[in-house]
Amino acid sequence: MTGTFTMAPVIDVAQARKEAEPVQREVVFDIKGLTVTYGRLTAISDVDLEVYRNVITAVIGPSGCGKSTFIRCLNRMNDLVPGARIDGRIMYHDEDLYGPGVDPVEVRRRIGMVFQKANPFPKSIYDNVAWGPRVLGMKKDLDERVEKALHDAALWDDVKDRLKKNALALSGGQQQRLCIARAIAVEPDVLLLDEPASALDPIATSAIEELMHELKRDYTLVIVTHNMQQAARVADLTAFFSLEVDDSRRTGVLVEYDLTEKIFTNPSDKRTEDYVTGRFG
Amino acid sequence: MRTSFQEELDVLESTLQEEGALVLRALRGALNALEQRDEELADEVIAFDDDVDRRYLEIEERIPSLLARQTPVATDLRLVLAILHVNLHLERMADYCVTIAKLAKLAPEVDPPARLIEGFEEMGSRCEEMIRVALDSLRDRNLEGAESLVELDELVDRANRRVVHHLLELGADPELREYGLRMVVISRALERIGDHAVDIGEQTAYLLTAEFREFTDASHPTPREA
Repeated sequence: MTGTFTMAPVIDVAQARKEAEPVQREVVFDIKGLTVTYGRLTAISDVDLEVYRNVITAVIGPSGCGKSTFIRCLNRMNDLVPGARIDGRIMYHDEDLYGPGVDPVEVRRRIGMVFQKANPFPKSIYDNVAWGPRVLGMKKDLDERVEKALHDAALWDDVKDRLKKNALALSGGQQQRLCIARAIAVEPDVLLLDEPASALDPIATSAIEELMHELKRDYTLVIVTHNMQQAARVADLTAFFSLEVDDSRRTGVLVEYDLTEKIFTNPSDKRTEDYVTGRFG
Repeated sequence: MRTSFQEELDVLESTLQEEGALVLRALRGALNALEQRDEELADEVIAFDDDVDRRYLEIEERIPSLLARQTPVATDLRLVLAILHVNLHLERMADYCVTIAKLAKLAPEVDPPARLIEGFEEMGSRCEEMIRVALDSLRDRNLEGAESLVELDELVDRANRRVVHHLLELGADPELREYGLRMVVISRALERIGDHAVDIGEQTAYLLTAEFREFTDASHPTPREA
């Protein structure tokens, strides 16, 4: 996998055969031979993949294929799982993410995460967003920081008059955007989103998808989604994970990683084709 | 497995093949009406176009609904898009058959020269062959068959030029000239039917390779490299 991707579709028309210029992408994560085991169970095996800056990368695949395991490796969330073992290498901006001397707390500040179920603290909207910066000692201009994070999460107009109200009074979609605001308040580099819209109605979902398009200007996004159409709508690149069954042991493997458009119009691998067209299983 | 979706795709494709079979029938009818100067048959061909249009409209209506409900991707998406295009090509072919039938009705007073009739018969049977190859290649997902349409079309084009040559030899009699002009339109209609068959082949190639390319292009005389 090289760092060069042709980001615009190549349209072959009779008169103009213009090929898009390959765009050199900055590599944020360079993942080689990533294998994750929980005890005797291998969740994912030998994954090679590069994640590029200011690009939305979607991870799709059937249940149990290791999508969530995969993105949890990207901010060392699996460290917290007893018995989890990570082999292979994840370079983050050329630094070994699992190297000695790397502080997992600093890793999670730079690589934020948003979960399927919005999980605001039972505190005020303001305190939810201000919590991270306060803990990390980013107390200067805290009000501005909170306002900017809420703006960037497309929530400011909804909540500016009730910042001191309890966050749990917000709607599900607003709570999820609040979690995104909370994640970006500490100025991360990467946002990992694990099924961020699967508990939301279509309107709240489209608000989150719109927001992702805005956020990719400033952040690198990796989204795990069950919803293939969501991947097709929001992602620039899509990685398809599948389950390989060997001696009744099931292991998640990366099958195909390419431009989203390619994955959904002309995938290279039969397994990808079967999955995206709904013929899987 | 999305059974109902697959069934819908199958229905679309079989309706398209039915439409193709009707076009073949219309073309044979139009040619016979022309050669045998059979006005009644010409009227039948004209009326028969409604049957083709019914299939055409049915496919036109099914596709937006399928796209909205099933959001096909990958091969399924390419198949739906190919059907959408092929449907239009078949409908156009049927319209050309109507044109031929209408002109056949207008020209019964002149006794057509045998060479002309032979020329039309040659063009017409080559067009029938092309329609069959186009439909079979699509049904069998046969890229080689689809690409062979370019050569078959070349034969139709040559026959077209021969027919025009015969027409120029008809002479200066105004009645014959008018007759000749009508026959030029018929020759042109057959030539266009061949072009549409090539276009169907291009859609089959798109379905199979995911890359759209024109087999030939009027502004670029030699076939393009893929």
